[in-house]
Amino acid sequence: MDKAIELHAVDTIYEGEKIPSLKNINLHVNKGEFIAIIGPNGAGKTTLLETINGLLESKKGKVIVLGKELNGDGNGIRKLVGYVPQDYSIDELTPFLVSDVVLMGRFGKIGLLKPITKNDKEIAKNMIDYLGISDLSHRPIGKLSGGQAQKVMIARALAKEPEILLMDEPFSNLDFEARKDVSEKLSHFHKSKQMTFVIVIHDIASIPKVCNRIIVMDAGKIIADGKKEDILKPELLEMGYKGIVC
Amino acid sequence: MLELVFTKILLFAIIGAVLTGFTCSLMGTFVVRMNLSSLGFAMSHAAFAGAALGIFLRKDPLIFALLFSIFVSLALGPLADKAKLKTDVIIGVIFSLSMAIGLLFLNMSPDTAMSSTALRILWGSVLGMTTADIMYLLIISVITIIFVMLFFKEINSILFDRKLARASGINDKPFYYLILFLTSVTVAFSLKLVGGLLVFALMINPTSSVYQFTYDMKKIILLSPIVGVISCLLGILMSFSFDLPTGSAIAIVCSAIFGVSVLVSPKRRKG
Repeated sequence: MDKAIELHAVDTIYEGEKIPSLKNINLHVNKGEFIAIIGPNGAGKTTLLETINGLLESKKGKVIVLGKELNGDGNGIRKLVGYVPQDYSIDELTPFLVSDVVLMGRFGKIGLLKPITKNDKEIAKNMIDYLGISDLSHRPIGKLSGGQAQKVMIARALAKEPEILLMDEPFSNLDFEARKDVSEKLSHFHKSKQMTFVIVIHDIASIPKVCNRIIVMDAGKIIADGKKEDILKPELLEMGYKGIVC
Repeated sequence: MLELVFTKILLFAIIGAVLTGFTCSLMGTFVVRMNLSSLGFAMSHAAFAGAALGIFLRKDPLIFALLFSIFVSLALGPLADKAKLKTDVIIGVIFSLSMAIGLLFLNMSPDTAMSSTALRILWGSVLGMTTADIMYLLIISVITIIFVMLFFKEINSILFDRKLARASGINDKPFYYLILFLTSVTVAFSLKLVGGLLVFALMINPTSSVYQFTYDMKKIILLSPIVGVISCLLGILMSFSFDLPTGSAIAIVCSAIFGVSVLVSPKRRKG
């Protein structure tokens, strides 16, 4: 099966630090998979996502995304990879409207010196409608609640029509109903577009049903990796996966 | 004959004011949104120090203002980019250093120290606008407009959030450095009109005024240069009417516009 993401013995160290935030990570994600990454705070989940899309440069090992090795800035690869950042906070006075922020998700993909087409605007509008935030379209992004802003960020990432979608705790600010609704929409999107989804999630109950693989991280390492039904066994969760390295 | 000369000087002053107001305020939209105020401040004072060196060496002050300003943008850009320096530190170090260097050079030029030449680069001298000054301003204005028009998508994305722009596949670094470079060149070319000490006011105030009325970045980019041009023209009118230094008059006008904007801003209305 074609690989979407391959990490070979990857270490990632934040600038100015000595201890790697990711240690010897080996990970293979097939195209079309929907995987969830769980683990305690500071386990390295966000670092892993940002190493995959090249926002953070790995200091050791090899990162291959969609068959291309991430070297240097990785802009070419990021045009094909969507990213929903964690708990995105926006200044109240930020002078950008929701419709513009969602459309911006496509700018990298459109490319330099190429105009924004009607089709681009149509796709952005469709994603706004899909996430159920049409009424917010012309509102300033800084005036939205945390949950509304989170939906905008998901719409922005989907508007890009990426081949891989990386999401960092996309439900953290959503209430129970909204969480269920967005989770179903993402699952539907994943099925219909056959995209690769990697989602970092804190609340195990929120893992979308369509997710077929779970990765558990702790202290910068992958400590468990397997099918959802194998990983989410109560006894394993209770013992914190200690000593179980898959 | 005298009338013709006066008309030419006035015409140059007005054209210079329009171009300076336009470019400074357009670049100001980037400076304000990207929190580059401290860098812009450092650049304007470095330009002053450079011009002072030019006077000391009896060369064209503009060239040295340009070199110093560009140097600061190229040196401090990467440092600020990596957030190794706090903005207060940048202002503190560069402001004091460049003012010290500037005054040192002026002091070492006995026949010009604190003379009209020196004061001109501090406070500006709109009546001294030459054809070359107008041409420089015109060139930088055209380059800035072309830059914004060609790369509006990328610039807009970076102005929203650099990290998200990068995550979406935009190579943000060249744009960031180009914005710094164009800001430094604009600062240097604007010395003639508003002077080294006040050029920064013309960058910050018009954009900050427009910010009070809209949440739409496209409108801010469009309206800030208009407010900048109006500030400059009103400042010149005030300067001629009350025999005030042009730079001071322009800074007073654009500060007044900002003050009124804050007072009447719909963003601050309750209910």
